[in-house]
Amino acid sequence: MVVETAEPSDETLAARAAAGDDHAFETIVERYQGRVFRLACHLTSDADAPDVLQETFLQVYRRLSSFRGESRFGTWLYSIATNTSLMYRRARARRPAESLEELLPRFDANGVHLGAPDELLVASRVEELLDRQLLAEKARAAIMRLPDAYREAFVLRDLEEMPTADVAQALGVEPATVRQRVHRARLMLRGYLSTLAGVKP
Amino acid sequence: MRELACVSGVELLMDYLEGVLSPDVRADVDSHVAGCPKCAAFVASYVETPRIFREATATVMPADLPTSLLAFLRAQRRR
Repeated sequence: MVVETAEPSDETLAARAAAGDDHAFETIVERYQGRVFRLACHLTSDADAPDVLQETFLQVYRRLSSFRGESRFGTWLYSIATNTSLMYRRARARRPAESLEELLPRFDANGVHLGAPDELLVASRVEELLDRQLLAEKARAAIMRLPDAYREAFVLRDLEEMPTADVAQALGVEPATVRQRVHRARLMLRGYLSTLAGVKP
Repeated sequence: MRELACVSGVELLMDYLEGVLSPDVRADVDSHVAGCPKCAAFVASYVETPRIFREATATVMPADLPTSLLAFLRAQRRR
């Protein structure tokens, strides 16, 4: 006897949901709600995340019939979640952009790192040096300080751990652009960790 | 082989980690980092940064949210 144990794929569920199968749609919701909520927290705020979550799945439901399978279903859903988050974020009053340039690594005239190896390494040791709760607060605040384009790329690539090609599809930019933005974000956030540990980047 | 400066290596780091550099440029980066304790330290902290942020900002949905989400979506579908 063959027992079917495999869960239906996202794409199978999407096709069923588009054909009016509400159970299939709710299975999709169940599968993705935690990740969409986390993404919304990173891209908007804890306060807005529940609204973003609702709006995202409402949009997913309404657009199911337009999902053509050109990308993976998850990528398609993430692009809707990202765009919905950005709509909420743009609706909020913007703070003036802060300069994060001082968080970038520093070099001497010959292009050699300033700072000793110990100092250059310190960002990787903040978990030993800082209280966990404090680090959590500081880390979230730092992500919110990033320029929008860097934050979107960093959140999808490094916090959600999506492959670069999928992030590019979700954001509608080239993979090289994603790499460049994630790189800048990593440099700034690494510098931020260094300053938390009391060392210049 | 060309001698790479730290600053140039840093600019190539993301592409290096993603495996999109040409083999000769990749070899330049490898040989520089192997002989440069500052770059070795920098790379280690750069690589750790995403993980530290991922773990520090990990968040879970409030327990009652899935239920209210389902109720909202069902109400919308009935419209």
